[in-house]
Amino acid sequence: MDITILGSQIIGIIPLGDIVFYFTQFNLFMFATALAFTAIIAISKTETQVEAEFGKLGDRAVTVAKKEFKIRRFLAIICGLATAGAMITGDLFDFTLFVCLTGIVNIGIVGAVRQVDVLDSAYQYGLIAMMASLPLFGGAALILAATGTISLLVINSLTYTTPMMILGSILLFLGVAGETGVAPFFATKAEMFRTPGSPFLLIIHLSSLLILVRLIEILLIINKPF
Amino acid sequence: MILVPDVVSPIVVGLYAPAIIVGIFVGLIGLFGISLEKNDLHVLILTDIVGVGMLIFVAAVGTDLAESLILPGLVVELAEILAISEILMSREMRKSGKTVELLPTPLHFNLEILQTAPVFLAIVLIAYGAFLSGFTGGAIAGAGILFYVMSIKVRGVPSGVWEGLAGVSGMAWCLWLVGFLVLFVFPQYWLLGLMLAAFGVFIKVAFKVGIIGVMNREEFKKE
Repeated sequence: MDITILGSQIIGIIPLGDIVFYFTQFNLFMFATALAFTAIIAISKTETQVEAEFGKLGDRAVTVAKKEFKIRRFLAIICGLATAGAMITGDLFDFTLFVCLTGIVNIGIVGAVRQVDVLDSAYQYGLIAMMASLPLFGGAALILAATGTISLLVINSLTYTTPMMILGSILLFLGVAGETGVAPFFATKAEMFRTPGSPFLLIIHLSSLLILVRLIEILLIINKPF
Repeated sequence: MILVPDVVSPIVVGLYAPAIIVGIFVGLIGLFGISLEKNDLHVLILTDIVGVGMLIFVAAVGTDLAESLILPGLVVELAEILAISEILMSREMRKSGKTVELLPTPLHFNLEILQTAPVFLAIVLIAYGAFLSGFTGGAIAGAGILFYVMSIKVRGVPSGVWEGLAGVSGMAWCLWLVGFLVLFVFPQYWLLGLMLAAFGVFIKVAFKVGIIGVMNREEFKKE
């Protein structure tokens, strides 16, 4: 492969018809991180949480029932897989769909708590995610209209940048920020990470961080500021 | 810089910018409404207007690719609005302490035509749907099955039949997925993939009424 993306060589591609996944050193690392975290979520036994006691040297174990977190754990695994997919996809619309899947799954994770306050914050997050789908898909559609393609490998080889592409990139950024970027805020607002037995909910933070980094890579590929 | 080939008339090309502006305005109107509205349910419905703005953005591109991209956008919109309305319902139930069923009232089919119309029409509909195949055919054949169910319900249909139909619907959906996988992984066998997808989705959509039948039976039991 002699195509370079942002200074790193393409190690390999997975051609599935017109949807092409590609690996570079950069996104392969993020892909492996997301998959490794997902694997840890899938195999770990998080039902028992050990907390240090205050003022003494003893430990206190808090155990919750397994089925209490079954659905949320499943959603966390889906979230990890969607994040991993978004890392390596070479198709702009595929990326937006993975981001949307992450967003919907995050709504599910936050909304699984049966408390009025938490459901309130899940509802507000859901509204923001729905509004963000306008700039997300709209930005991708603008880039499709301006370049004639949604394949990142083809966009990478274009030599020009039009104002429409920049507008599309800004919209795409707004969309991803609304869809997964605000998710940690709403999850923290609901104080979900302090719940015993659910450390795997940190996947919300990880997916949001990885997707934002990947989005910046995609925006650099589209706009080529260097 | 215009990438459109010459065969497309300039009027159609010139429609792109107005369509984008309309999309932006639709989105802004939706956001303005959301900022004014205080009722949660109304906010949810207004959010859908923003989603329509997104569909205008994608549809304005106007190519085959854009057509195939509208569908995922629509599905994402629907999934999100379903999830949020479910959260809203769950919150309201928790607030008021009451629980609400999926279908609030039992269904009544007291239509005269269901007793007088010949059941033979159902066979015609199913045969025509099988001839069409694909999504449209599935809808027509499904209407045929639904017609049969509703006209014969006086005599009663065994419950095992409905659960079986729902199961077959799920398996046919897997067939559809396999067809799509074949299209992606082995593009040279596209005809096989096309046929699998077409008949998978036909059987699935047709037997979706099986699920309606299961629901129906439970509603009748409630009555």
